[in-house]
Amino acid sequence: MTILVQEPHDEVCFREDGKRLDGRAVDEIRSFSCEVGVIKNAQGSALVRHGGNQIYAAIYGPREVHPRHLAKPDRGILRVYYRMATFSVHERKSPAPNRRENEISKVIRESLEPVLFLEAYPDSQIEIYIEVIAADGGTRCASTTAASLALADAGIPMKSMVVGVAAGKAQGKVLLDLGDKEDKVGQADIPCVVVMKDKSISLLQFDGEMSLDEMKLGFEYVLKGAEDIYQSQLEALKSKYQKISEEALKEDAKIDKSAIATEEKIEDGPAEGPEDLPQNKSEDAVDLPVAEKVEEKAAEPKAPKAENPAPEPEGKTTPSNPPGDA
Amino acid sequence: MSAENKPVREIVTPGQVISTDPSHLAGRGAVKEADQIISVFVGLKEERGKYINVVPLNGLYNPQIGDKIIARVTAKTPVKFLMDINSKFVGILKPSDAFRRSHSNRGYPKSMGTYRVPKENEMGKFKMGDMVICKVLSGSRVEEPTLTSLGQELGPISNGVVIVISPTKIPRVIGKKGSMISLLKNLLHCKIFVAQNGRIWIQGRAPENERLLIESIHKIEREAHTTGLTDRVKAYIIQEKKIRGIK
Repeated sequence: MTILVQEPHDEVCFREDGKRLDGRAVDEIRSFSCEVGVIKNAQGSALVRHGGNQIYAAIYGPREVHPRHLAKPDRGILRVYYRMATFSVHERKSPAPNRRENEISKVIRESLEPVLFLEAYPDSQIEIYIEVIAADGGTRCASTTAASLALADAGIPMKSMVVGVAAGKAQGKVLLDLGDKEDKVGQADIPCVVVMKDKSISLLQFDGEMSLDEMKLGFEYVLKGAEDIYQSQLEALKSKYQKISEEALKEDAKIDKSAIATEEKIEDGPAEGPEDLPQNKSEDAVDLPVAEKVEEKAAEPKAPKAENPAPEPEGKTTPSNPPGDA
Repeated sequence: MSAENKPVREIVTPGQVISTDPSHLAGRGAVKEADQIISVFVGLKEERGKYINVVPLNGLYNPQIGDKIIARVTAKTPVKFLMDINSKFVGILKPSDAFRRSHSNRGYPKSMGTYRVPKENEMGKFKMGDMVICKVLSGSRVEEPTLTSLGQELGPISNGVVIVISPTKIPRVIGKKGSMISLLKNLLHCKIFVAQNGRIWIQGRAPENERLLIESIHKIEREAHTTGLTDRVKAYIIQEKKIRGIK
């Protein structure tokens, strides 16, 4: 006979030695790891493991909007689909999207919109699919972190990375990054999303009771925890390419230079390709927008284009070129 | 060309401050905010004169006038073909831009009489799924691009293989002044057409050559951000040719 283990509902959130039940200090985040490029078919993707949470995010677009009437002629739209797997929580979750999922999709969308240049993609949409595989409290924060990583991986222009992390209060103590139990039995919960460029807050929800001083302390914790997560994010984004670079260096060391040189003399015979078929001309390389290093063009670098239809007022952030233009 | 005298370009991330020098200007992939230039992409930072550019490592194809691309017929209306061009736009190919005109009495006075050329069913000439090498005639950031398949090197593809890679890696497949593509052609005796939208048409002397070529192109795509790529690809192809016994 199956024994269903009840979720714990006592109010104890601290051990006898003063630490939290999982051994953390009050201002410590749960274990965090992330990687990018995990879904091959998506334009960009990320997997975030934050405590017991395991969350995939995938980016598709910019692409056409369906249904067409949702398209905006002056700017692109961002659509976020936050979904929890049926097996992600203790009791089976119905697969139908519910009120909570729609709400979280909305708040994640609104927390990401300030860092994107949506005005550069009129009549199109960027879609973010977030799938919670395992939930352990604080999924909306971890989902935002994953979405931000996936957007950067997809090559969508962003003003800054964003990081989601929560503060809260349980048993009279202010805590950083609540776990599942602290979230449920605690007295307060403040999920925040921090824009890391200028440390501004793009999502702030509040549930429960806290004094003003406790709230200030909570924000201090949030900024500290966000910085830790941000460093992991940067590492994940860079390591995807750095790993390949390191392998390439090792391979370079093995190359037998003499073998390449002798082969070249043999191969420099008459050109093989018949003339009647499409052949790339060498000039093509020079005309490319992102040709790797064309010294000839150094004198006339591409100036910021003036035809940007939605320039922001001067002094503010202005995309110096249509981001998709490259 | 050696790897030693090429500077290693730094990988930057969105929101990273890449310059605080007030004399610098934000180029591609960067924005200026107060006195700071920040990157908007995950990409490689490069300086060209006073401009600081970020070359993105991933992204979509954005059609620009004059680009040669490989398009696929995905839909037809009574007057035009809708083409998938691996972009957020749908390319438009009209029969007048796709086929040569039949010669009716163009240029002759009416008194010479007319002779009627039986009207061909031009919309039936391309089927769904056909791949066509096209050139972008017009289009902007908000308009769908118009294509043409008339011209040198353009037209429908009837043989060979088309593979798809990330459009941001295309410059590396061509190489500086076409060095990489001529290397591939010479070593593997294949015909290659690299289109700007990330599709590459190849036709080899034998299936083995084609297979090695495809693997080489995927290697270039994967290692596009590294230095000394041409030498490495050359060594790879020479080594694989020996192992597989390709002549």
